[in-house]
Order: sequence, then C-alpha cells, then structure tokens
Amino acid sequence: MRKEVPLLITLIVSIIVMLSRITTGPVPLIGISMPELFEEYISPWMTVVSAFALCLASVNLIMVHSGNISRKRQEWVYSLILLVTLIIYGAFCTYVELNPDNETAAANYSLIYNYILSPLMTGQWACLAFYVASASYRAFRARNLEATVLLVSAILVMLGAAPVGSLIWSKFPTIQQWLLDVPNMAGQRALLIGAAIGSFVASLRTMLGIERSHLGIGGSS
Amino acid sequence: MTLVPGNVFGFWMFVVISVIVVYMIRASQNDKIQVSIRTIPGLEAIEECVGRATEMGRPIHFSPGLGDVVSDSVPDTLAALQILSYVTDIAARYDSQLLVTIRMPNVYPLAVETVRQAYTAANKGDAYKDNTVRYISSDQDAYAAGVIGLMHQEQVASSILAGLYMGEALLLAESAARLGIMQVAITASVMQVPFFVAACDYTVIGEELYAAGAYLSNDKGRLGAIAAQDYIKLIVIAITILGTIVTSFGSTFIQELVTK
Repeated sequence: MRKEVPLLITLIVSIIVMLSRITTGPVPLIGISMPELFEEYISPWMTVVSAFALCLASVNLIMVHSGNISRKRQEWVYSLILLVTLIIYGAFCTYVELNPDNETAAANYSLIYNYILSPLMTGQWACLAFYVASASYRAFRARNLEATVLLVSAILVMLGAAPVGSLIWSKFPTIQQWLLDVPNMAGQRALLIGAAIGSFVASLRTMLGIERSHLGIGGSS
Repeated sequence: MTLVPGNVFGFWMFVVISVIVVYMIRASQNDKIQVSIRTIPGLEAIEECVGRATEMGRPIHFSPGLGDVVSDSVPDTLAALQILSYVTDIAARYDSQLLVTIRMPNVYPLAVETVRQAYTAANKGDAYKDNTVRYISSDQDAYAAGVIGLMHQEQVASSILAGLYMGEALLLAESAARLGIMQVAITASVMQVPFFVAACDYTVIGEELYAAGAYLSNDKGRLGAIAAQDYIKLIVIAITILGTIVTSFGSTFIQELVTK
C-alpha cells in the first residue's frame, strides 16, 4: 500500500491536470469539465500541501539558525538578524492583514520593503556586471579551438553591439546580427528541442509510476 | 468532453510517444535491447567533487535549483533529486559532509526524504543531520545571497548545481569560482548555460540533465527511456524535414496537421 497509493494519486492527478489544459466540456458520468475538476478538487489540495511544506521548511530554518546562535558558530550574528527580522516582519504583516483600515501601518510596512530589502537586492544584482566581466575573462582565454571560436564570436558580437564598432567597420552590426540569428539561434533551438523531449519523457516516467525515487521507494520499476 | 482545437495533434503524439517509452522501458528491463550512454564528463566529475571535499575535510554543497514540484519545472527538479540521491550515496561512502540548500518549500520534504533514504541505503543513517538539508528562502535573491553566505561560512570545497536556474546562476557560480570551489553545473535552462560554462569547471547541458539519473544509476528501466528519447527525436526530425520540404513547395499540410 505504501508504494501503490502514492503512485495511484500521481497517475490520477497528472491525468486530470493534463486533460484540464487540453479538453473542454463535461466528462461523462462526472458531469463537470476537467478544468472545473482541477479548480475545485486539485487546486485547493495543492495549496494545503504547499502550506504544510512551508511549515516544515520554516521549522528547519528556525532550528538551523537557532542552533547557530546557541553554539555561537561563525557569523552567528547574521542568524540572529534573520530570526529577529522573521519575527518583526511576520508580526507586522499579521497586524497589517488584521487591520486593513490602518493605512499608516500599511505604509510603514511598505517602507521596510522599499528602503531596506529593495536596495539590498539591487546592490546584489549590481555585482553581476563585475561577475560577467571576470567570468568572461576566464572563458574567453584561447586555450583550445572551442574557446578560440568563443573568443572570436564574442569580440565580433561586442563590436557589433558597441557604437564604436560600426565606426570602425560598418559590417560589424550585420555580422553580429547574423551570429545571433543563425548559429546562436540554431544551437539554442537544438538545445530546447532536446530538453523538451527529455523533460517530456521524464514527466511520463513519473506519471506512469516508472520513476519513483522522489517518493523514497527506490529507482525505477 | 472534447479536445480544445490546437491540441489534437499534440494529444495523439502524446499517446504514440507514451507507447514508445513504455515499450522501450520494458524491452530494456527484459534485456531485449542493450542501452549504453556515451561518457558525460560533467557527470563523471561528480565523484571527483565529493572526493575533493573529502580530502580537504570540507563540505560539499548541492542545490536542486530554483524549480518547484507544482509547476512546469517539475521534471528539472525531479531530475536534480535523482542526482542528489547519487551524490548522497557517494558522500555517505566517503564520509563526506553534505549540505543541501533548498529554495522552494515544496521541494524541501522531497529532498529530506531523498537524502535520508540514500544515507539509509548506504548503512549510514546516523550521518543524516537536521541541518544537512537547509531551507534558505523562496525569494530568488535571498536564496542566492543565503547560498553564497553559506559557502563562505562553511568553507565549501565543491558545489553541484543541478536543475532549473534563472538570473542568479552567475551570482552563485562566479561567487563559488572566486572562493576556489570546484563546480559542476547540470541544467536545461538554455539562457543560463553560457554563465555556467564561463564560471564552472564542468557543465552538463540540456537533455543530459534528464539523462543523468539513468547515467548515474545504470538502471535498465531509465536507460530504456533514454533510448526511447532517441526514437522520439527521429520522429521530430522527420516531421521537421518533411515540414520544411512540403512548405517550400507551397503546401500547408504539415502546418495544419501540427496545429490541428
């Protein structure tokens, strides 16, 4: 039973989800359509399961960081900041939800996001510019034929995209566009088609119960 | 109940492909066909990753990506969990410390169960600790920041990034590269492949992510499914070539068929 029940649930739910996307009209004997069946019976369960999963994950987060603080592990102060922020933000959010008429509280709640979290995230993403430069430097070193092709293509694309490129030679933008539209697009589409087929077969294995490792029941059967 | 227009061809292709996949899996399991996969250096390097961490006495980091199990990214996430099972098995054999970081709460229980099962199967059930699998944050930016911080704090020796990745791919990979961490990235996220190629030691791309479970486990059923993929590819190539030729002669037959 421990094996069969989860596999049966997977099969039934996946068929309903799939048919809800591609069929219309009432199902014989049931009387409602597949999209309605999904919305009324499957979707609420997804919310319930997700809520339980979030509880489990939150308990893990609190336990790990409480452990860091109690054992005074390296950089434990960040764990303290995380837990304090979790409590303050959680309490503030609950208060705002329970008192929707209190506009001052809602505005202050937005301030935390707009003036603390948002600048931190922007700063983090700003690092990407430097990371792209350093990663490109390593990747573009002409160590072998493939890296040399990459280096030459990158130089041509950069010259085509930069204003100075067209001043040096008017054909650089044309070459850049050709590189992006033909070899690059062909490679991307080949990768996408292969990945789509792989993804489909992997889904089918799970749907039919052939793949069961995620249920902790071992490999395929 | 009727099929929505535009999905008829897709539905019947689904039926045909399902038959091919099931047939090939059964044929492989019954030894009617012998399936072998070419060597994939990135997957071979996983053991080297764990070995390096063991020699250095430092942890190995594994991320199953940013995908969830209730969205289009399910196959990517489940494929990443199959790789996690293999990584845990090697880590258990080498007595190496494993750190698994999770972005989506729905993936957390699955990752815990996968790691626990793999440790138990290796007779190292005691090696599993409550902080082996760590939920970081469901926010993409916070997850990246959390993982980078953890790499610094725990002085991670090797990192394996498998599954779906988005804009933070380079943040994770380049931060790890600057720390001298050996990295293997396994992803089907086309837009992130260049970043991983630039920053990681090994990159496994596209459909190889979904083949990784079969490659690493050598399971006959999974290998049969990989063989089925090749036949499906042949069908897709045949339809593409036929469509190109027929359309070039002015016919819309193939276009109408696939959009029916």
